[in-house]
Amino acid sequence: MKRSVGQILGRTGIRIPLILWSLAVLYPIFWMFLGAFKSNAEIYRNPWGFPESFSFENFTTAWTNYNIDVSVFNSLIVTAVGAILTLILAIPTAYAIERINFRGSKILFTVYVSAMMIPMVLGWIPLFFLLSDLGLLDNIYGLAIVYAVSQLPFSIFVLTSFIGTIPKSLEESAAMDGMSPYKVLWKIITPLSMSGIITVTIMNAIQFWNEYFMALIFLNSSENYTLALAIDFISSEAQYTNAWGTLFAGLVIAIVPVIILYAIFQRRISKGMTEGAIKG
Amino acid sequence: MVQSKKQKYLFLAFCLIPTFIMFAIFTLYPLFSGLYYSFFDWSGSSQNKEFVGLANYIKLVKDAIIPNTIIHDYFLVATKVIGIMVLALFFAVALTQLKIKEAPFYRIVFFFPNIMSVVVIGILWTFIYNPNLGLVNSGLEFIGLESWAKPWLGDEDWALPSLVLPSVWAGIGLFMLLLMGGISNVSKSYYEAAELDGASEWQQFWKVTLPLIWPQVKISILYIVITTLNGSFIIVQVMTGGGPNNSTHVMGSYLYQQAFVQYNFGYGATIGVMILILSLLTVLILQFFMRRDKVEY
Repeated sequence: MKRSVGQILGRTGIRIPLILWSLAVLYPIFWMFLGAFKSNAEIYRNPWGFPESFSFENFTTAWTNYNIDVSVFNSLIVTAVGAILTLILAIPTAYAIERINFRGSKILFTVYVSAMMIPMVLGWIPLFFLLSDLGLLDNIYGLAIVYAVSQLPFSIFVLTSFIGTIPKSLEESAAMDGMSPYKVLWKIITPLSMSGIITVTIMNAIQFWNEYFMALIFLNSSENYTLALAIDFISSEAQYTNAWGTLFAGLVIAIVPVIILYAIFQRRISKGMTEGAIKG
Repeated sequence: MVQSKKQKYLFLAFCLIPTFIMFAIFTLYPLFSGLYYSFFDWSGSSQNKEFVGLANYIKLVKDAIIPNTIIHDYFLVATKVIGIMVLALFFAVALTQLKIKEAPFYRIVFFFPNIMSVVVIGILWTFIYNPNLGLVNSGLEFIGLESWAKPWLGDEDWALPSLVLPSVWAGIGLFMLLLMGGISNVSKSYYEAAELDGASEWQQFWKVTLPLIWPQVKISILYIVITTLNGSFIIVQVMTGGGPNNSTHVMGSYLYQQAFVQYNFGYGATIGVMILILSLLTVLILQFFMRRDKVEY
């Protein structure tokens, strides 16, 4: 089929908004990286251009003067503990709901899934006092537990659909051979649903690494700050100190792990998120 | 099966009970006791908890800031739904219908802000709006519109609209992918038939694409509404903290201020109940209006 001139023009024209939006997405991120390597004086002189010379001073200032090192460590702990705990709690329940016939399995699933739609702000006030009573307030492990439970509905939802794709015959023959259900879950189901487990874990890890508001409420002292809180602190300080370069360095430290994960698992992440949204 | 009933129930209990206990303690209990707290006047210490009946709810109705926070929330809902849906639909159609070689590049780039931390997005955009150094004002100066330059986030009229762009910026990718999933499931034969009937690309969009991806459009709108009502306060907190002069407070940020800054925990819980009721009502009403019979050709 021959294409008319109008169509060819249209096809070029359609690229303009696409290119503009790509710039709108990439330029601020790119510029944040550049800003992290500029001195403060240069940020004022030339906020949006290339740095004259790359210096790592901002990173060392952030690392030493603002205790970013401690925050990075806290964030890593919260993310890892939270992600593992979510799996420990979610896999058995997802398996039971999907594969074992019992009364109320549908109701239980509905209870978990509908929790995805409930605004959790209301619960944060009592949660604050509950954590305080349990001695888990201002404690990164307490925060990790709260994170893990908050991602349970999403994780159970995604994992049940993955476990549903495993052929039943495998479990049945294992049970015939006298394997206990615990062993079936651990030795057969878990390895076979690894793809789903990885997707869920990456999504949860990004969520926990990025999370801000619960950390703001449930952590007080600066030695327990997660990265999000530390950056927020530098940001509010920067209004007086104008330490923009340090702030950018903090932002870069926060975003690099996410970029790396996205570079490796781009397909999984976008698929996991769209599937999570479809059920919502 | 070899295993006995007793073994089966033991295994079920092993699978379900620990998880459900954690869920009950850290999700269900806080939600329900949030409802309960809303009937108390409480500054945090256990001695000062006093049952006040509906006093908090009466205060809520009389509080002059509350209507504004509700309006601000729904302003964000409406602008985000329109902004995200228009752009996401446009990009989704462009990337699926027109054969563009570099489509995967756009897909990957547009989605990325969806997984960025709200803190990073908020701070980045605060700087973009910075009155002296920011991209917006420098850009306006560059094209000769200095008079339009303003301290965006410090201006009572402009602060709230300024929050829309970062939210749209951060949200588009996910919904674009959702809609693209819908479009790629539409059979090519419909378009061929439409083309034979002489339908323009524009007509094809309205008559073929949109009706057939209505389920995805509906899900996207609902999802934007829910996440905005339940989470818009995070970007508000990072970018303006509700200021200047309460002009950007949404329900959630006002709750945070009342409960965790001013220690009116009872009243904060009451605001939380309002958020819960409003967001459930909104979803129900929306679902009713967007009911549309599944289209099949």
